[in-house]
Amino acid sequence: MKDLSLIRNFCIIAHIDHGKSTLADRLIESTGTVSKRDMQDQILDSMELEREKGITIKLAPTRLLYNYEGKEYTLNLIDTPGHVDFTYEVSRSLAACEGALLLVDASQGVEAQTLANTYLALDSNLEIIPVINKIDLPSARIDDAKQEIEDVIGLDTENCPCISAKDGINIEDVLKAIVEKIPAPVGEEKEKLKCLIFDSHYDSYKGAICLVRVFDGQVKAGDKILMMQTGKVFDVTEVGIFVPQTKETSVLSAGDVGYIAASIKTISDVKVGDTITSFENPLKQPLPGYKAVQPVVFCGIFPVDGAKYYELKDSLEKLKLNDASLQFTPENSSALGYGFRCGFLGLLHLEIITERLEREFNLDIITTAPSVSYNIYKTNGTMLEISNPSNLPPAVEIERIEEPIVNVNVFTPPEYVGAIMELCQNKRGIYKDLQYLDKKRVELKYVLPLGEIIYDFFDSLKSRTKGYASFDYEMAGFQTSDLVKVDLMLNGERCDALSLIVHKDNAYNRGRELTEKLKKIIPRQLFEVPIQACIGNKIIARETLSALRKDVLAKCYGGDVTRKRKLLEKQKEGKKRMRKIGSVEIPSEAFMTILKLDEDE
Amino acid sequence: MSETSIYIHIPFCEQKCNYCVFASFCAKSEEIDKYIDFLCEEIAQKKTNDIVKTIYIGGGTPSILNENQIEKVVNAIYDNFDVYDNAEFTIEANPNSLTENLLKKWKSLRVNRVSIGVQSLNDKSLKKIGRLHNKKEALEKIKLARHYFDNVSADLIVGLEGESGKDLCKYAREILSLGVKHISCYLLEVYEKTKLFQMIESGSYKPLDDDQTIDAFEKLSHYLVDAGMERYEISNFAYEGYESKHNLNYWSRGKYLGFGLGAYSFDGEKRYNNPSNFVDYFDGKIEEENFSQKEIVEEIVMLGLRCKLGVDVEQVKNLGYDIQCNEYYKQYIVDGILLQKEDKIFLNPVFYHISNTIISNLLP
Repeated sequence: MKDLSLIRNFCIIAHIDHGKSTLADRLIESTGTVSKRDMQDQILDSMELEREKGITIKLAPTRLLYNYEGKEYTLNLIDTPGHVDFTYEVSRSLAACEGALLLVDASQGVEAQTLANTYLALDSNLEIIPVINKIDLPSARIDDAKQEIEDVIGLDTENCPCISAKDGINIEDVLKAIVEKIPAPVGEEKEKLKCLIFDSHYDSYKGAICLVRVFDGQVKAGDKILMMQTGKVFDVTEVGIFVPQTKETSVLSAGDVGYIAASIKTISDVKVGDTITSFENPLKQPLPGYKAVQPVVFCGIFPVDGAKYYELKDSLEKLKLNDASLQFTPENSSALGYGFRCGFLGLLHLEIITERLEREFNLDIITTAPSVSYNIYKTNGTMLEISNPSNLPPAVEIERIEEPIVNVNVFTPPEYVGAIMELCQNKRGIYKDLQYLDKKRVELKYVLPLGEIIYDFFDSLKSRTKGYASFDYEMAGFQTSDLVKVDLMLNGERCDALSLIVHKDNAYNRGRELTEKLKKIIPRQLFEVPIQACIGNKIIARETLSALRKDVLAKCYGGDVTRKRKLLEKQKEGKKRMRKIGSVEIPSEAFMTILKLDEDE
Repeated sequence: MSETSIYIHIPFCEQKCNYCVFASFCAKSEEIDKYIDFLCEEIAQKKTNDIVKTIYIGGGTPSILNENQIEKVVNAIYDNFDVYDNAEFTIEANPNSLTENLLKKWKSLRVNRVSIGVQSLNDKSLKKIGRLHNKKEALEKIKLARHYFDNVSADLIVGLEGESGKDLCKYAREILSLGVKHISCYLLEVYEKTKLFQMIESGSYKPLDDDQTIDAFEKLSHYLVDAGMERYEISNFAYEGYESKHNLNYWSRGKYLGFGLGAYSFDGEKRYNNPSNFVDYFDGKIEEENFSQKEIVEEIVMLGLRCKLGVDVEQVKNLGYDIQCNEYYKQYIVDGILLQKEDKIFLNPVFYHISNTIISNLLP
């Protein structure tokens, strides 16, 4: 019989850059879980991309053994992603713990995302331990950060650890606090099996792996298990723990954090938030809080070289093995050829996937501007969901269009309130609330269309507030809006991949910006090219790209021939990155330009 | 018997022009003598049995060589090669260093074509780009050269500050009135690391922009064609029979031997080039370039479309490239960009100034 009083399950809540991964490293190091020799920075961030971006995308749990007052404690650390795109995953990780470290940068204070995740933790009844990090920095204002935590969140900070994860200062205080303050798990080995899946990943030998927290009962190899949401049944082939690599054990029992392998072929059979129970002796009720994860941001992804369609397909399938939330369906564009419409949890997720396609799979891809999913109510009484603007039916067939909206929280120093309110208003935001959290921090609440957020809200927010504001959002349903489709025509030919859906009041401006932008980015052609934006058949903006005048090397004598030949070869090579709309050749970057439209020029 | 052309590079100038990126240096007479000795050795070493059909002495400024020096170089050619009696023999000259004695010497050496670097007939403009002559001197020297030679060519630059198409046509009229038979018109190309580049960066020189440059070139081109010349290559205009045979040889991928600093040779299969720094050149280093079949076709297409020679459809087909199956070919014919005459295709000279785009699209 295991002593549950010697187990602590906890996670770390922190804003990006506040030092979460570094603290995790120090904890691993100071408990001797990984030898100094094997230690590399940010050991739980397994992907190259994560280390580079300094953000954790994929959760990686690990078991730490810690001796305290003569007893050996098992501390299970569940690392969490610190980004709004992955809020649901965070909530399931939190649900697997009894406590959380709230890591706050001593010079930055509490940020919007930290607060959002802290609320999630409070919802899960977690014990929260504030930890002030980066006390080594000259800009550290420890007392202010403490005061802010007390004022904003209402947590007692009197004896909270003040540390420098980077320099390894006061790490022991954190370990002590975990043992002393976080409650031990409660559970009964003899009860029916009750496990929460808080993450999954794919192993080419073992199949899809469930990362679980066992609440009640036991599970071991040979058991038959039932996934309560999907109703699927599997035979367990292996159970184990993370040290932080996987290590097989004979059994996982109540209170444990570990993994279950059961020859599961596809990752989509393992739903984060699902409850695993015994097939023979099942629970009556699954654990609460399960949600099917829905993509909210969409874009088209096409190979630059049309012949690489199948390579792109293979690569997306491989990525999906590890990422059940990635969705894709084949799509055909008259401008871009064959590719895929892909769905993502958010813009960061989109960025990560496209970067991985380019970096890990060496693919040259064209991504179209991101879009959200619209509900189109047609005059014939049917409803259509579209995530590709070019699929919008003709205006006469549409009764109304609904677009997704989100609740947005912005945290900012007071001097930027005006700029942020202006930004939100430009983005069709509806003001909800403004609160002074303390003298230095204001919380602003708005309802905004998601479609406006995914343009460049984040960049605009950062540039208007010199990076001091942070924001967080959650889906808040749909609203009917006066939306129209703006099409782009090059030399009279419609380019489907450049269509976008915008609010009627913004259509004229967007059309003008887009035509101006395209004029800059499309190289001059052999003939004059009109660039037009239109709604239906009505032209709302026009630019003219004048014909190419000078593209010649004047001298080509004996010694110039090779150099000149190479130059032309290179020019021809560059054509491969071009797409043809009718007779107009446009560079693949053009399709991304609609992304960056809202620059304040 | 096979034929070849000979190019000799004289990398010296009285003063480097502000726009120049070529291998050219201001040198003392003894240094020039040393170079010429080496050059003559090189000519002797690389001699072949080919009969020489054209000779071209370019630079730099070949007219910087005194009578003895030029004689030595030319005799090295005659001592080592058979040269056709009617071979075209060009020497480049700058107005300021061209003298009557030199012209007489050249004549005696069977030179029969003189190419003069006029560039502009605007004194201010000439000064700004670092030329040592003025309009008066340029016209005088053309006249002088014409006294000794029938076949005189002049170079002009298009795109210089403040020089419109109208100005260029005026220059052309004055030059042609002196009996010049050939004019090369080069677009001003500004290279980094030149003095002109710095002048433009600092705002003290303002060349014409691309549109103005092409407008000016087109005016000049119309003028020259109206005057009875043919634009037989992107930058070259000539009265009938006065095209540069030496350059046509380059464009038809004929053989040539290049002697001197940075000079290139082509033996029909490989291209060789001399180093463009003196140390390596005097060490006798040579770089060699081989061609794949595709590269050969690329050169044939590129060179042929740049000039009136055109591309022989059968010739490239035999080398494995059916240019008429190129995705752009049909449209270019329809748009009048390409012209087809019997088995040859040509680039319509109207489109010469955007030839890079067109030719690169037509490469295999």
